[in-house]
Amino acid sequence: MKKYALYPGCVIPTEQYAYELSIREILPLLDIKLVDLKGFSCCGEPMKSVNQMLTISLSARNIAIAEAENLDVFAPCPMCHLAMSECKRILDSDEKTKERINSFLADENLKYTGKSKILSILDILYDDEGLKKISGLVKKPLKDVKIAVHYGCHLIRPSEIGRPDNSENPQKIEQILKAIGAKPASYPEKLDCCGGLLTTNLPETALTKTGQKLQAVQQQGFDAFVDVCPWCHRQYDSKQTKAGETVATKLEVPVFYLTQLIGLAFGVKKEKLGLEFNLSPVDKLKID
Amino acid sequence: MSIVDLTSMSESQTAIKNEINQRLSKLKDEVSDYCYQCAKCTSGCEAHKLLELEPHKIIALLKRGLIDEMTNSEVIWTCMSCFKCRERCPQKVAPVEVLFALKNMAVASGKQIPGNYTAMLQSILTMGLIQDVKSVTTNDNKTKNRTELGLPEISKPIDLAKFQMVLSKLAVEKI
Repeated sequence: MKKYALYPGCVIPTEQYAYELSIREILPLLDIKLVDLKGFSCCGEPMKSVNQMLTISLSARNIAIAEAENLDVFAPCPMCHLAMSECKRILDSDEKTKERINSFLADENLKYTGKSKILSILDILYDDEGLKKISGLVKKPLKDVKIAVHYGCHLIRPSEIGRPDNSENPQKIEQILKAIGAKPASYPEKLDCCGGLLTTNLPETALTKTGQKLQAVQQQGFDAFVDVCPWCHRQYDSKQTKAGETVATKLEVPVFYLTQLIGLAFGVKKEKLGLEFNLSPVDKLKID
Repeated sequence: MSIVDLTSMSESQTAIKNEINQRLSKLKDEVSDYCYQCAKCTSGCEAHKLLELEPHKIIALLKRGLIDEMTNSEVIWTCMSCFKCRERCPQKVAPVEVLFALKNMAVASGKQIPGNYTAMLQSILTMGLIQDVKSVTTNDNKTKNRTELGLPEISKPIDLAKFQMVLSKLAVEKI
């Protein structure tokens, strides 16, 4: 059994309960144990526009907490995963910056060494073994459900930092979906951004971006839309009605976290996957 | 500590201002020479259609030394951080990173930070996270919290005083 420190970040544990619930539900079924650690803070990425030193320091701080327990870090939020991966890349190659950051962390008796790996949701779910395990656990295949996949920008770019899938033609989520019987299909808007990060200063524009992508997905007759990022999901699912208003369209696209769909295919009960928190019309998708 | 420490520096701190200017001119030297204005960044820019952000122009302006104008401009705050420009630039210029640097400089030189950034920063300073735990409404209009869902207590800094000490040291560090 593999064991990881679960780094939930800010958005997942404060409001995106569906992601947290479904992760905690399905990972043990895949022989993965998640360890909860105390003391984590924000990863710093939302503050990158304000002060990049703050971003690196906060990421280093969180990695150091997991290092103290000799655990690798699982960061399901792609934004956290990017911040921590970038922090690791900088500190592992720049001794001086590492020392400087560690001098800050010393106040909390923490030290970044670089020994812990940082894993994304795709690192966890997708490898040869993972795919086999997933298809072996399927009880209710999502037969012929046509799904639009949304990777989210931070999961696949910038590839220079090391991202879990190809930046221009990512396919891992599609393969996972095929393993649970679904039918993912490509669409021209697949790599479009959700706009979520603009919520901080230009919320209306953020919603327009969201609405435009969902509009295209709806027109192309998809049965469902799947994402793996709490920021994207907040836009596409939690705010779908509002996003529809900004583009003058009634949007009715069922939006799921990938982990929720996997759980449904495994026959896990809806309540345990937090489906009650999906505000998009998820009931349209009948799985039996 | 107050928010002012992290986000603004008073007029009298000329040393810091000089440092910022030095770094900005370094930014100018490091980056802009490689750009040959192919505008591939702008053609794929997520903020281009809706907000008229043109990353290749940002780089061109930087090359011409119009740095103050840019740190004063609202356009640097329209970037969605999708990283497509960084991914696709044939010259590895990474306009998105230039924009992050310009925004950092704008903040450090005391310009007003737009939107909710200040509130987010304040929240990190007071509790370690960008927002506090919310009771969330379900699709049948019930509100639920973590305890009712059987989720463990949220992970956040244990000794806030020490955590704030770390951040306050950062605040006096230069970007």
